[in-house]
Amino acid sequence: MSNYLPKLKSLMLAFALVLSVMATVNAQNRTISGTILDAALGDPVPGATVLVKGTTRGTATDLDGKFTLQLQAGDQTLVVSFVGYLTQEIEIGNQTTITVNLEEDIQSLQEAVVIGYGSQDKKEITSAVVGVKPEDFNRGNITNPAQLLQGKVAGLSITRPGGNPNNGFTVRLRGLSTFGANSSPLIVLDGVIGASIENVDPNDIQSIDVLKDGSAAAIYGARGSSGVILITTTKQGKKEGTTNVNINTFGTMDQATNLIPVLSPEEFVARGGTDFGSKTDWRDELIDNAFSYTTNASVSGSFGNSNYMAAVNYRDNNGIVNGVGNERLNTRLNLSQGALNNRLRLNINLSFTNVDSESINDAAFRYATIYNPTAPITESTETAINRFGGYFQRDLFDFYNPVALAKQQKFVGETKTALTSYRAEFDILSNLTLTAQYSQDRRNTLSGGFWSLQDFQVGIGATGSAERNTFDRKQRIFESTLRYETDLSDKLNMTLLGGVGVQYTTNQGFNARVRQYLFDLGWNNLGAGAIRVGNNTNVSSFANEDQLNSVFGRANFNWDNIVFVSASVRSETYSGFGENNQTGIFPAFSVGSDFTQVFDMGLFSQFKPRVSYGVTGNLPPSPTLALGVYGNGNRIDLDGDPLTQNDIFVGINQFSNPNKDLKWETKKEFNVGIDFGIWDNKVTGSVDYYTRNISDLLFNVPVATGAPNPFDPGRFNTASSTWVNLADLRAAGFEFAVGVTQIGKGALKWTPNLNFTIYDKTTIESLSNGDLGFEELRFATPGSPGQNNNPIIYNRVGQTLGDIYGPKLNGLTEDGQYILSTTDPNQFEKLGNGLPKGEFGFANNLMWGQWNLSFFLRGAWGHDLYNSYRGFYENADPASNTWNSVITDKTPTNPLVVSTPTFNSSVVEDASFIRLDNMELGYNVKTKSANLSSLRFYAAAQNLFTITNYTGIDPEVRTNDSENGDAFTSALSPGIERRNTYFQTRSFTLGVTVNFK
Amino acid sequence: MLPLVFAVGACQELEQEVLDGVTSEDIANSTNPNLINVLKASAYSRIVGSWGGHNSIWSIQEVSSDEMAIPQKGADWEDGGQWIRMHRHTWNPQEESFNNSWNYCYSAIGEINNLLIQYPDVAALNAELKVLRALVYLWLIDSFGNVPIIEETSIGGNPTNNTRAEVFAFIEKSIKDNMDQLVKEDTKTTVNYYTAQAMLAKLYLNAGIYTGTPKWAEAEAAADAVINSGKYSLSSNFFANFSERNGGSTENILTLPYDQNNAGGFNLPQMTLHYLSQRTYNLQEQPWNGYASLEEFYNKFDDKDVRKNSFLEGPQFASDGTRLNDISAEATDPDGQPLTFTPQINMLAPNAFRQAGVRVGKFEFASGAASSLNNDYPLIRLGDIILIKAEAAFRQGKTAAALTAINQIRKRANVSEYTTLTLDNIFDERGFEMFAEASRRTDLIRFGKWNLPWWEKQASQPFRALFPIPQNQINANPALKQNPGY
Repeated sequence: MSNYLPKLKSLMLAFALVLSVMATVNAQNRTISGTILDAALGDPVPGATVLVKGTTRGTATDLDGKFTLQLQAGDQTLVVSFVGYLTQEIEIGNQTTITVNLEEDIQSLQEAVVIGYGSQDKKEITSAVVGVKPEDFNRGNITNPAQLLQGKVAGLSITRPGGNPNNGFTVRLRGLSTFGANSSPLIVLDGVIGASIENVDPNDIQSIDVLKDGSAAAIYGARGSSGVILITTTKQGKKEGTTNVNINTFGTMDQATNLIPVLSPEEFVARGGTDFGSKTDWRDELIDNAFSYTTNASVSGSFGNSNYMAAVNYRDNNGIVNGVGNERLNTRLNLSQGALNNRLRLNINLSFTNVDSESINDAAFRYATIYNPTAPITESTETAINRFGGYFQRDLFDFYNPVALAKQQKFVGETKTALTSYRAEFDILSNLTLTAQYSQDRRNTLSGGFWSLQDFQVGIGATGSAERNTFDRKQRIFESTLRYETDLSDKLNMTLLGGVGVQYTTNQGFNARVRQYLFDLGWNNLGAGAIRVGNNTNVSSFANEDQLNSVFGRANFNWDNIVFVSASVRSETYSGFGENNQTGIFPAFSVGSDFTQVFDMGLFSQFKPRVSYGVTGNLPPSPTLALGVYGNGNRIDLDGDPLTQNDIFVGINQFSNPNKDLKWETKKEFNVGIDFGIWDNKVTGSVDYYTRNISDLLFNVPVATGAPNPFDPGRFNTASSTWVNLADLRAAGFEFAVGVTQIGKGALKWTPNLNFTIYDKTTIESLSNGDLGFEELRFATPGSPGQNNNPIIYNRVGQTLGDIYGPKLNGLTEDGQYILSTTDPNQFEKLGNGLPKGEFGFANNLMWGQWNLSFFLRGAWGHDLYNSYRGFYENADPASNTWNSVITDKTPTNPLVVSTPTFNSSVVEDASFIRLDNMELGYNVKTKSANLSSLRFYAAAQNLFTITNYTGIDPEVRTNDSENGDAFTSALSPGIERRNTYFQTRSFTLGVTVNFK
Repeated sequence: MLPLVFAVGACQELEQEVLDGVTSEDIANSTNPNLINVLKASAYSRIVGSWGGHNSIWSIQEVSSDEMAIPQKGADWEDGGQWIRMHRHTWNPQEESFNNSWNYCYSAIGEINNLLIQYPDVAALNAELKVLRALVYLWLIDSFGNVPIIEETSIGGNPTNNTRAEVFAFIEKSIKDNMDQLVKEDTKTTVNYYTAQAMLAKLYLNAGIYTGTPKWAEAEAAADAVINSGKYSLSSNFFANFSERNGGSTENILTLPYDQNNAGGFNLPQMTLHYLSQRTYNLQEQPWNGYASLEEFYNKFDDKDVRKNSFLEGPQFASDGTRLNDISAEATDPDGQPLTFTPQINMLAPNAFRQAGVRVGKFEFASGAASSLNNDYPLIRLGDIILIKAEAAFRQGKTAAALTAINQIRKRANVSEYTTLTLDNIFDERGFEMFAEASRRTDLIRFGKWNLPWWEKQASQPFRALFPIPQNQINANPALKQNPGY
């Protein structure tokens, strides 16, 4: 839209100038003059067109919004128009001077939809694309752009279980499209592919467009399989010729909510728990209300061919535990300048973000829930003072004082991101535009970890330890496109786009960890750590780079606004593919037709069925997987004598076998949908049904170790696995979205928007490629103590992805022993599935004079969660005299379960939920000031209530297993709530927004 | 113009650079004179690797025998029942530890074969690598039996099973064809001529099991070649062979040179010690309270036998002398809270007492030890070879020679020398001498006691004398056939 508007404006202006010249030629003696104003702001509108109706005579307004026009006999009506405003017709009568107030045309502003490499009129869109505007964004303390969209787009699932302000959001479009790391949609920020989302502050976003189906995303080829989210930042002032200053500031309070009930000290002792004689509410000791502050300030303006926007955003977010939080400063400058009568347009977008974050060991949340409630926080014994810094600690398995843990281990990070992009557009002809864009996206992270000398978990054994890490990513993209638009006949319009691109990515990092300190100097002085080899130490670095070359083209046809066709293809050559498969081709085709242009559709003002098909890909998570690279093995002392140093080397080990056939993952998606509008587009919406087949998924497959490598003849498999393209997945879904603009009478207006998705869950059709592969993949063991070996997620061929398997609990014996259906893992039954059957979002905006109230309900249904707190800590088994027990509504109490905790059907719970995600009440102060254009006060609340039968921490959908560090298998084990989950939070925000002009 | 340049560029093949690792081409093109030695050492380091860790080939050999178990303490060590099944001989082909063991062996074989392809002309290296490969096959023939033989000359296609007898012949030939090219010096951490002889002794000792045809005379001859070489002698201090600095042991013939910093993987303190034992040895990490020995096995040791110190038994103290106290001890544990390793284990599962069972103390736990030990692990030791000699001689009716051999061992252990001998004497002696050295399972099978019941293990079926081919391997290679019975 950003590129769409200025372009249109300049075209209109040029058109108007031509008209005014013609008007001068035809001069007559009668004149009319006037001023064109913005109805809302009262500001002049320069460049507006004033035409005599039924003629080609007219003029354009000057910078002050004024015009003068020669009239001829018989001229009766003037037509005043400007992009973004409703066109008005004025009866001339006997008037010689007129003033026209133009009303903003909200509908028309919304019509442009950003697609890859340009924008398109909404009516021409033939694939599943959804645009979201700022007025529809989520409210409250929004720290991450993804959060703006949570629940707003059918098929787009955005989750962050627990309330940790340092955790990112997991974003999935239409379910899982890869096992690998790139399961989140591709972010395209102002045309920069794959930009880090940290580069943009939510406050600077003008629009977000989601390319949902394969056809729309296919223009992004091998990066498009997980869908594409296009983010456009504000580039210019609200009105030509004015400067806008916007200041928004708010404060937020977070509090913990929905803590799982545990035994009181008395109940704990009565159940046989060890009594240390105190009474401590550990969660109360660990957590506190947290206060966060945000200020956004921006200045923007548009003057002729110059547009600018500069913004600074400061956010200080604190978590409910001391030592968890982040401070973020984001600065943005967007500049554009036209030259050569605006035929040449230059854009520069600069953004810089610094984030300083600190966090604790999340295990503190687990221990705060289950630590002995009779233990004191500190004690004054000699051991406690000398060894533990005064904290109470006992030598028991998996038993750490949570208050000490949160204080005696520290983790910090400083991330600096800089995105700079430079873009030139040149109109070779009025309908032929050449564009070139270069961008550089850098992200540098420096982090530190610290384990005190007195930290009971790690520090004491290591005698204090600390580390420093860096991780730096640099991505450079050069892209050039050529766009040509023409009318092939008076009814058939064609737009052609062709382009090439090259992308270089570099990742590098460094880690140093030492141990054995005399003082707690941490990462500030790694030299003070005496031991630099062995356990709890490390010196390492890594680097990789890759190159992706692309060629792409697209053709769009519009036949008389009745039939729309789009076809595209992208070819991608990637250095990280195996040498036998270096280039992939990704085609797409879509067609749609607006029936209301042909038939009388009654109430319908739009009824556009559309069909699309597209092929997209996914890149390997690391560029060297095809090569079977050798990494570091053991340090080898050739003569075994530690005194001779010149014969020590680090050996080499092959971690994965080479595969010269390695290639992209392929997703083929078919989409049928209808875009509709009823009652003159008072009600608009869309319905979509999609089916997708994902094949050639990349997976590290166990191979016959030691056997000849089928992918690398002449060599043997020394690693036990090879990266191979295998598996077929099939998924489908139904999406529905409807919105109504401003129903109501008088001052009260209600704007509801509803969307929902029904998933036909992902089915695994195959997990193999020839002889290689699996009949099933089992993942996710509950963990220690005692549940380390039985995975609970079975991915079976022919079944849905991520099924939860285990024994059925058929009841309890009289004395409280489990009666399990079986103990043989091969006899386990399907107990549930962690992915939802459906998700919905229901937004409501109520306006009443200066007041507005918005509230947003979001939910998911048909998903299960493994409640690991119940899975480990609800039984009255012998271990419960050490750890406190949880008592939920689902915990059996008569009799108490005395068996050793074992995973079974009773701890897999239906986690369907409805949540009041956010709610905001705002008041717009009426202003008559010449300098103040608006003043608004607001109060917001997030996560006000949740309706659910789930008894764990947060019923939010878990698409990934947080304790599975392997990106390739964590997505295959959804539906697990781990014990280290950060507590849920509820937030209250108070803020004020001021606009100056 | 510019777009055209890029369009051409886009069609070009792209070369993927490797910035932080090496490829097989880099290795082939290297002229670094140290490389060959480092690569050879890398092949050895595969063998050092996970041998001494939990879930390893050592674990399956030990826990399936009557000298060790991992009792389940409530929730702790239930772990899907794998270790209970392992001890009760009710395991299934899916057990993770079988797959780990298989991968451990075959990744070393792959590494060795790649080296043999890379250096076809270095005769001494080739001989050494082929004997090293035979050593790995010695574990495979013993554990899984009918395994594929993969040589450097093997070509494409999925490997298929060879019979145990074929594997036997392959090992025998590999050793015999190459042993004469091996060095005779005491190299300790690499295979030499005497390692090869010792391997033959172990192979022939079990020939009856592996092929159906005993080869006692050949076993005795090979053992004699080691014993009579004069290169090795029994350490007067039995535990010098297992100490943290056991590199100078005169008795160890081939060891895995563990080093907490350079070559990790020997995690015995974590595996066997109680959580609180961290304070006894000032360990860097808290142990896991797992592996313990069986009461019946422990009680067979003569109190005078120095080798009884291979166990940690009785009251436990912190390094400063204070008594350790386990406040989480089960209320029903008659020993109460003071930490005491008792020979009696109340049950294998589900609620063994936390402090029940004597622990593996044969290897020194140095104060301040990391989770991975510095002690070198003896794979082949003269004490074992002397007992092989005794057994092979006795089974051929040469009782006098057998007595001489076994009494050397008994004398060093400070127990009375035998004047008469039975097979059971030899079996028991092997138990005393070889505890925690991954020998017991093989011995139980050879002496026909493997399928008998003991403690919480019931009589098992004969097919259990071979472990199953791991299910993951059959999934990865459909040409592999499962062992009979599974």
